[in-house]
Amino acid sequence: MSQRTERRGIHVDQSDLLCKKGCGYYGNAAWQGLCSKCWREEYQRVRQKQIQDDWALAEKLQREEEAAYASSHGTQTQPHSQASAPQQQPGHASLGPFSKFEEKKTNEKTRKVTTVKKFFSPSSRTASKKENQEGKTPSPSTSRRASFDTDQVSRDFVDFLKNLQKPGRDIHKQCRAFIVNMSSKKDLSADELSECVQDFYQGMADRLMSHFKGSSEPVEQVMDQVEKYIMTRLYKSVFCPETTDDEKKDLATQNRIRALHWVTIQMLCVSFDEEIPEVSENVVKAITDIIEMDSKRVPRDKLGCITRCSKHIFSAIRITKNEPASADDFLPALIYIVLKANPPRLQSNIQYITRFCNPSRLMTGEDGYYFTNLCCAAAFIEKLDAQSLNLSPEEFERYMSGQASPRFGGSEGDWSGGGPAGGAGAANPALAQLNHNLELLSSLGSRQEAVAEAARGLQADLLSWTQSVEREVHGILEKYPLEVLSCTVSAIDANNMDNDNLPPPLTPQVFAG
Amino acid sequence: MSAMRVDAKVVMLGKESVGKTSLVERYVHHRFLVGPYQNTIGAAFVAKPIQVGEKVITLGIWDTAGSERYEAMSRIYYRGARAAIVCYDLTDSSSFQRARFWVKELQNCEEFCKIYLCGTKNDLIMADRSVRQIDYHDAQDFAEEIGARHFETSSKTGSNVDELFQAIAEDYNDTAFQYMTEDTGVDLGQRKDSYFYSCCHNN
Repeated sequence: MSQRTERRGIHVDQSDLLCKKGCGYYGNAAWQGLCSKCWREEYQRVRQKQIQDDWALAEKLQREEEAAYASSHGTQTQPHSQASAPQQQPGHASLGPFSKFEEKKTNEKTRKVTTVKKFFSPSSRTASKKENQEGKTPSPSTSRRASFDTDQVSRDFVDFLKNLQKPGRDIHKQCRAFIVNMSSKKDLSADELSECVQDFYQGMADRLMSHFKGSSEPVEQVMDQVEKYIMTRLYKSVFCPETTDDEKKDLATQNRIRALHWVTIQMLCVSFDEEIPEVSENVVKAITDIIEMDSKRVPRDKLGCITRCSKHIFSAIRITKNEPASADDFLPALIYIVLKANPPRLQSNIQYITRFCNPSRLMTGEDGYYFTNLCCAAAFIEKLDAQSLNLSPEEFERYMSGQASPRFGGSEGDWSGGGPAGGAGAANPALAQLNHNLELLSSLGSRQEAVAEAARGLQADLLSWTQSVEREVHGILEKYPLEVLSCTVSAIDANNMDNDNLPPPLTPQVFAG
Repeated sequence: MSAMRVDAKVVMLGKESVGKTSLVERYVHHRFLVGPYQNTIGAAFVAKPIQVGEKVITLGIWDTAGSERYEAMSRIYYRGARAAIVCYDLTDSSSFQRARFWVKELQNCEEFCKIYLCGTKNDLIMADRSVRQIDYHDAQDFAEEIGARHFETSSKTGSNVDELFQAIAEDYNDTAFQYMTEDTGVDLGQRKDSYFYSCCHNN
């Protein structure tokens, strides 16, 4: 910045123009006074370092989280290489078939993504400013995609309104005017913005009502489209606006939920039996849905996520209990899911929906019911204390401070009477699974050792066998040395011992004749 | 996902295990009305169309968690409700004390909410009169005092269950009709809904 102001002057020193690295080429202000070659090197270096730093930070945070998790789960001192691998996913009570295992893996991945996202989200002020910028670098593409989305929504909206002909054009005009109007009111407080939007809904609904002569079905259809169009456009400026402390609340809730990681199913009296694969599957789906809520823009779509999550919870309860769930089962289960999921920007989302959703939907319908339950769950978690978990204040303190963990505290009797699911074993099913896995691993280990032992034996046997064979051969060889008899070539009967005994050779007799 | 339109919100309030859920269950499974009712997997929220005269009124029945540990949050539940069924167990006097508590809460926070006092487990009384702990007339007096309607129901036999919900639907229809005659179309909506949405702010 300071360079640029210097450059305002007319007089320019020749040395100012040269590359700052002193390589002799001319530099360029856009490249921070470096020449293109030096700049590229410099840039690459900084970038590389940045990337490495980010990785290191992400890894460090991940490790810390895992360490905290591991220590909270107490005792089990695992070798580090192992500890980093099974980033424990709650709710996996059963050893499913392999395909399911894959699914869980992907699920873990999505969870990890969200944690990484958390580092980049503006709420984590601990991350350096650079980090935030790094997080924003892919923004051209995302904003392009976002604008593509809004374009798509606008097109859908226009298509929808075409069917309505003249009033459709009217509606479109009013919506456009409203959006323009809203963009000029950026400094208003969130409540005032909400009021503007609600007034607009109200006015629109009234006009539609008189147009459709009181039949409410088409009015709601149009209102849904209007909501979708307007809120997709306004989302950026009104979601978690800077004028509110939503962001602070988000952070507080997030930390609160993290601090409460030790809360078990039994303490909340949730009737889940996560040993049943179907149940744990539904639990995982519910968690995914509630996390997904943050990614939607239209209040109605967010409500849809909450409703889907709730349906999965109901399925899980029904499978466990074999009867339809009541609110007495549902609310604790939802609290449990929220604690496990730690949905991103929970408070902002709740506030956003409350402020900008069509009120009639929020107050009466099924979506409204589940949303209300979510609000209750959030309020419960905020106010949660020892009494609401049937714990003594001392125990609660100890768990909160991480000095003790309910899973290994040896005080299992304290709450086992509390839950209807207590019969399934006091320990957390996820923990049972962990123990089970550890047992399997250790038995595998011992078996492997046995195999290795046998292999070593076999090797020794083989060696000794060859040796023994060799020895035998040697022995035999020694016993029966190979004697090469000197074979003297002689007359055919040179070595005939019995020569003497033989009668003298016949001598030819000469007969005079 | 159901986008079923709901006319009025009805909350079930009362102590744990007084039978709120059973009441809803009984009412919904024992239905004689044909309507676009889809089988819900849970009984926590039910949208139930009811024939009133020539109209069909859809009640959205909200079950609430009765456990005391969620008491602090109950206000979130009955916000904007048009009717509340405050349940108590006829064989349990403590549940009636709790019912009084809910009534007071409702009167303080929801002036538009009509209260229906409902004594449950009447079949137990029928079987053995000595188990009754809440006198019918006491409850009736209390109901009159607070301007509520009073029912004694049994989810087991189904007695008075349909009557209770029918009464709610009819009352709702009457009040809605009153609004209609007082003002003309548009204004009424505004008044009614601005009340609704003012609730959203008291978060």
